[in-house]
Amino acid sequence: MTDLIKRLCLLNGTSGREDEVRNFIINEIKDYADSLSVDNLGNLIVFKKGRKRAKNKIMLDAHMDEVAFMITCINSDGTLSFESVGGINTAVMTGIPVSVGKDKISGVIGVLPIHLTPKDKKQDLPSKSSLCIDIGAASYEEARKVVSPGDCAYFDSDFVQFGDGYLKSKALDDRAGCAMLIALIKEELEYDAYFTFSAGEEVGYGAAGAAAFTVKPDYAIVCETTTAADLAGVDENKKVCRLKCGGAVSFMDRRTVYSKDMFDLALDTANKLGIPAQPKTMVAGGNNAGHIHKTAGGIKTVTVSVPCRYLHSPSCVVSVDDVYSSLNLVRALIGELADA
Amino acid sequence: MDLCQTLFGLAEASGTSGQEYITAGYALDLLSKFMPAHVDALGSVVGENDGEGCHYLLDAHLDSIGLVVTGIEENGFLRVDKCGGTDARVLPAHEVIVHGKEKVYGVITSIPPHLARDEGKKAAGFDEIMIDTGLDGDKAKEIIRVGDRATFVSYYGKMLNNTVRGAYFDDKAGMCAVLRCLEILKENNCNKKLSVLFSAQEETGGSGAAAAGFRCEADKSISVDVSFAKTSDTPKDITASLGKGTMIGFSPVLSYSMSCELKALAEKKNIPYQLEIMPDSTGTNADNLAVAAGGRKAALLSIPMKNMHTPVETVSLDDIEATARLMAEYIMNDGGLEA
Repeated sequence: MTDLIKRLCLLNGTSGREDEVRNFIINEIKDYADSLSVDNLGNLIVFKKGRKRAKNKIMLDAHMDEVAFMITCINSDGTLSFESVGGINTAVMTGIPVSVGKDKISGVIGVLPIHLTPKDKKQDLPSKSSLCIDIGAASYEEARKVVSPGDCAYFDSDFVQFGDGYLKSKALDDRAGCAMLIALIKEELEYDAYFTFSAGEEVGYGAAGAAAFTVKPDYAIVCETTTAADLAGVDENKKVCRLKCGGAVSFMDRRTVYSKDMFDLALDTANKLGIPAQPKTMVAGGNNAGHIHKTAGGIKTVTVSVPCRYLHSPSCVVSVDDVYSSLNLVRALIGELADA
Repeated sequence: MDLCQTLFGLAEASGTSGQEYITAGYALDLLSKFMPAHVDALGSVVGENDGEGCHYLLDAHLDSIGLVVTGIEENGFLRVDKCGGTDARVLPAHEVIVHGKEKVYGVITSIPPHLARDEGKKAAGFDEIMIDTGLDGDKAKEIIRVGDRATFVSYYGKMLNNTVRGAYFDDKAGMCAVLRCLEILKENNCNKKLSVLFSAQEETGGSGAAAAGFRCEADKSISVDVSFAKTSDTPKDITASLGKGTMIGFSPVLSYSMSCELKALAEKKNIPYQLEIMPDSTGTNADNLAVAAGGRKAALLSIPMKNMHTPVETVSLDDIEATARLMAEYIMNDGGLEA
């Protein structure tokens, strides 16, 4: 599982540019799936037969895209102006290494050295619009030879296993979810199930909703990652969820009010089977459930998220145990919902 | 000498001020190829040959900025403060190695948006950021002790125009220039009397250079450090560009005659150069070396750098080569008068 997550995370694929990730996934699962198709938006839709026919149609979703940067303009001094694709805080893009375009050109998002920063501004983060990517080009012409506006730049960040069972990488949101779905497809399932590896979640335009319309399931399970703020010194009520406490189940976020029965079912199932799980204790964030639950006359949806520290940064951190716990909970939920 | 390989090798072995022993072994190996060398009481690497004529001291600093552990929380999060002029704005979500009893990998915490102050416009201060080691508190305490240092994990990269990015080119680029200068001198069978100082504790005030400068009997010193290169947001008095040559320093602290000789020699030998005008002291080891013991003529060459004191310091290998060549020519020609 760890190796699968590693290989997924090291692929570059931001919203609308999921090709590399999708091709990798297709290659992983093609011998295990009963059918697969890629729709007009780039969603990968997979069907896998189980030992039993499901009474209710179940769909599992994980998104393939990751947050990144898009080059908007090449400046006269050879630097590249950019916008973030998905929400990235200035705090985690200041002074970082990036990899630009298909050829993975080394670059940096620079910052005015602290020595030259006026005293009263030393703690101010630079404004997003003032930041640019430097690839060492000395002029517009030099940069234009290797980069074009619309090209994307990615966090240059290795996959690392560290501490007591933690993984650190870019793109764990949501390659961790993709890895869970791939693992399930490779298993012998008890019930038939549909899987959507969806496009464009980080910019929220609703590609997953279109995939759900195509599948028209009775129930959807969204496999995600979510912010964990379980740092030393943070108040208990602000932690959202904690690493090593299992998958986080949402009752409400910024895009979805989840059915109470779905939320209860997830936590009760975990409790019954002794699978670590926790409620996500803050109404924050949002995910593909926001589009899926409104699709095709309404789909009852539940979200199980792997808790992730430093989400949307070059150094997302998750616990391997939580990936397994989330996977176990999701597998159990397929059974519960298929027969419900 | 492969400049890029030497630079990345030195940078990878970086130690913070006071923990230069992490770099010293590697630096000693490299320097010993040219002259007998040892580590002095403050941790500086010092070498001296038995040449003749005017005695030159070449200096670059050995230490790097970083973090120092100030506390260990129950759940393996480390409280930290800066060691040297570390920039808190660039720390969140960067990776570090904590130099405890063994090396421990960690991630610097990044405060999630819902907890950020001032809508995320202010950077977290050193009182707010921690290192996440992923260890439980007891295990962390077994390996790590308050006072241990942490250094950045570096993502080295070659960029356009022979520029490179990575952590700790300040002042490994300077050390690299000194070593390349020694190589050029050796190739030219130069037998001038030379001392080399890879000085400790520059980032925390220059104690290493002050102490070693006291012992060294050189008549003239040339320090090599990095300095600011122009970017779109630098003040207008920052005029040097990356890749346009070594920066020859002019300052009341520095020997005016040496600065002028270096400039004339660069012109004569077609070595790319730029001027760095500092109407006050230089803020480098040159300040200490000029007045150590009975005083000596000091010069300063700087390698232009972008993003100083961040994990993505950027320099041009061409500027390192130009710096090395100018130093070598200066020594071989005794200031250029006989050239």
